[in-house]
Amino acid sequence: MKKRVDSPSALRHLNKLRWVVLTLIFLMLILLPFIHLYQTYVAAHAYDLLLPHEKTIYDVMEWFTAPFVNDPETDLDAIKGTTWSGTFFGLQLSDPLAVVSQVAASFFLYWPFILTGLIPVVVTMLLGRVFCGWICPATFIYELNDTLAAWMRRAGVPLGDKVYDKRIKYLILLAGLVLSMLLGSVMTAAIYPPAIIGRELYYAIAQGAFGSGAVFFILTIIFDLLVARRGFCRYLCPGGALYSLLGRYRVLRIQRVVEDCNDCKKCNVVCEFGLDPLQDGFGQECNNCTACIAVCPTDALVFKVQTHDQAFQGPGHLGHAYRNQQVEEKSGG
Amino acid sequence: MQRRNFIKSLAASAALLAAAPLVQAANNPSFRFLRPPGSKDEKDFAATCIRCGKCGEVCPNRCIKYLGTENGLSSLDTPYIVPREQACILCMKCGDVCPTGAIESLPREAEAIMQKVDMGVARVDRTLCLSWQGKTCGVCYRACPLQDVAIRIGRLEQPHVLKDCVGCGLCERSCIQIPQAIKIIPSHTRKKV
Repeated sequence: MKKRVDSPSALRHLNKLRWVVLTLIFLMLILLPFIHLYQTYVAAHAYDLLLPHEKTIYDVMEWFTAPFVNDPETDLDAIKGTTWSGTFFGLQLSDPLAVVSQVAASFFLYWPFILTGLIPVVVTMLLGRVFCGWICPATFIYELNDTLAAWMRRAGVPLGDKVYDKRIKYLILLAGLVLSMLLGSVMTAAIYPPAIIGRELYYAIAQGAFGSGAVFFILTIIFDLLVARRGFCRYLCPGGALYSLLGRYRVLRIQRVVEDCNDCKKCNVVCEFGLDPLQDGFGQECNNCTACIAVCPTDALVFKVQTHDQAFQGPGHLGHAYRNQQVEEKSGG
Repeated sequence: MQRRNFIKSLAASAALLAAAPLVQAANNPSFRFLRPPGSKDEKDFAATCIRCGKCGEVCPNRCIKYLGTENGLSSLDTPYIVPREQACILCMKCGDVCPTGAIESLPREAEAIMQKVDMGVARVDRTLCLSWQGKTCGVCYRACPLQDVAIRIGRLEQPHVLKDCVGCGLCERSCIQIPQAIKIIPSHTRKKV
């Protein structure tokens, strides 16, 4: 027996890193509207006219940003926007779904905008659907929601665990683009949770109230909780569909090392996207989130550089099924 | 057959959705809003804007707000300005930050602004205007960022709007009459007629 367990691989910590990234991005989306408010207070040059809570915001943000900027009014413009489309120190980045739907809606190729989607597209083609697992602010909420669901199940609350066809989301992507085209309006923005979250956090903090998108998002949370585990991402998300298509031939893949696998099935249980790592069923929808790597007791899941998945390699060599097979073969032969 | 029916119903529902803003606008003619300075025509705006919200996030004046369903589903989450609540100061930061060109990036110079910005045109209601009623006021003229180009004053500070008015709304915001005697007629509602 190999002594893998005694020296767990460093890859296991990637899942923690992923949570750090997700949390940072979510906090950033909360921080940005406050930065905006602070900038407007600075621009008004009227500290003494601010309301008490506005003064608090001013003071906190000043303390927070003073080490980094000279002139908050312009210097804090370095980071603006959301994960849907944003400016990051002069670099403009947009969600590929934003680009595709905008082209569909306007029938026009505005290259300065289309090029903002280039980096996300290239990254997705190399690393797969990483946006969904590593960046998406909705994933942050949905995964916490999923943890809550797990606790509730453990406490005996019956929650739905329906399984639908994963291909529904491709239909929704298509329908969203067709609707955008027919209406001449970027409709996918209204049903895409990461875009909604960025917007709604801004509305709630800087404009005083949530908009209609918040209702939609809460409905998706309830759907995930009561009907289907991670249902929106797995079956409905148009952006996830586009990322999956782009990441179909991704170069970096999580693969199973059959010699180290003991068939414990923890990877299948933990997979947020309902994939089947145990039987080498990763496919285009794997987002390299590394949750399965973190949970694997024998470090049988590793990153490999290849453009296709391995075919099913049979039961893991450390499991009972494989051992019984060997015994049978020996006794038979 | 089924697929044809599906496509038919899809097209029908799309037509219904497209008609919704017109119906709603007809039902609610008092909802008067401006698009940010340098915006495309109303028809192209909903198709070009991706609802990223950056224009509002850089607006130092906090005049840019976002539509709910008031103007129909197709302009959901698009930016708008109600000048009486908070008018545009023509800082042109929203155009700089707009990734899609829905709001054009323009330099903050009078000539570029006069040529390219068309949010609307101010109109004076002479029965409400203090100056036109003989009580010298002139506040709108003094609030205007394009004095003597967009608006000039005559006898008793009576305002006359000129054709180079870009519709920023600072006059409407500053009008001391209640209700305001000077209003911006948004360009997207003028062009519909």
